[in-house]
Amino acid sequence: MNEHKILFTGTMGAGKTTAIAAVSETPPVVTDVRNTDASLGKAFTTVGLDFGLLTLDNGDRLRLFGTPGQVRFDFLWKILAQGALGVIILIDNSRPAPVDDLRTYLDGFADELRRLPCVIGVGRRETHPSPDSDAYAAAAAERGLALPVLEVDVRRRGDVLLLIDTLLMQIEADLASRLDA
Amino acid sequence: MPEPTALEQLARAEAQAIAVEIEGVRAVVIATVDGFDVASSVSGGADAQRIAALASSIAAIGQVVSTEAGLGRGTSVTVNTASGFALVHSVRRADTDLVIHIIAGEGALLAQVNYRAAEAVRRLEAA
Repeated sequence: MNEHKILFTGTMGAGKTTAIAAVSETPPVVTDVRNTDASLGKAFTTVGLDFGLLTLDNGDRLRLFGTPGQVRFDFLWKILAQGALGVIILIDNSRPAPVDDLRTYLDGFADELRRLPCVIGVGRRETHPSPDSDAYAAAAAERGLALPVLEVDVRRRGDVLLLIDTLLMQIEADLASRLDA
Repeated sequence: MPEPTALEQLARAEAQAIAVEIEGVRAVVIATVDGFDVASSVSGGADAQRIAALASSIAAIGQVVSTEAGLGRGTSVTVNTASGFALVHSVRRADTDLVIHIIAGEGALLAQVNYRAAEAVRRLEAA
């Protein structure tokens, strides 16, 4: 049995904790505390990490780590990214500037994204259809990255599994291309 | 700028007192559980806001370790380093929980800092 690490990151409220809880086969480890910033419409916020486990059909195990979303906890981003096979960036399309939000994480994980596959999951597009997927793809392309952008609702297990599947396919494709080279 | 609350005034007094009373203490930051500094006394250019965020993360991870181990509520975390240590203590209040982060270098005594930190915890919890 192989074990792999996947990292979930993204803005506060984008659903990192929810996504991991939706697929983890064990009760997830959560470090949510009460949010004291009244400008943010959220009762709780992650200040440490989220952790969950998911076993694939082939018996391999995924260790799912979630980062705190707020930039003042970015010291944890690099630590949590160590050993990760890939990164899933979750974005909340209802926020005032979600493409700028994406840029924050693309820049925050710039070193990692030079060598790791990444998938972007955009939530709340049903109620907030703009910006569209092209805007996110363009923001990634500004940094020389061609990243899949998926519309998801991370409360749905199937959507989270789709993000993970897409990331795993990228990982396999990267591995295949390296073996061919 | 709004007047500091009674809790903020007490936190400020405790942070300053710890920094003055104990040799070797380099920084004392009292923060909200989600990492905002409430009061601090720092030297040597330390970033109180950064230390506040660190304290929040360390306290939360310590709490998870304690819970997962079935040891009840986490109360403090000690980080021992090559040339000093860092302590993070949790403060439980009815209105808002806090964390106290003390960074100390060589010359500081862990037991003494722990004792004084526990005293600050009691005062902040009782206020």
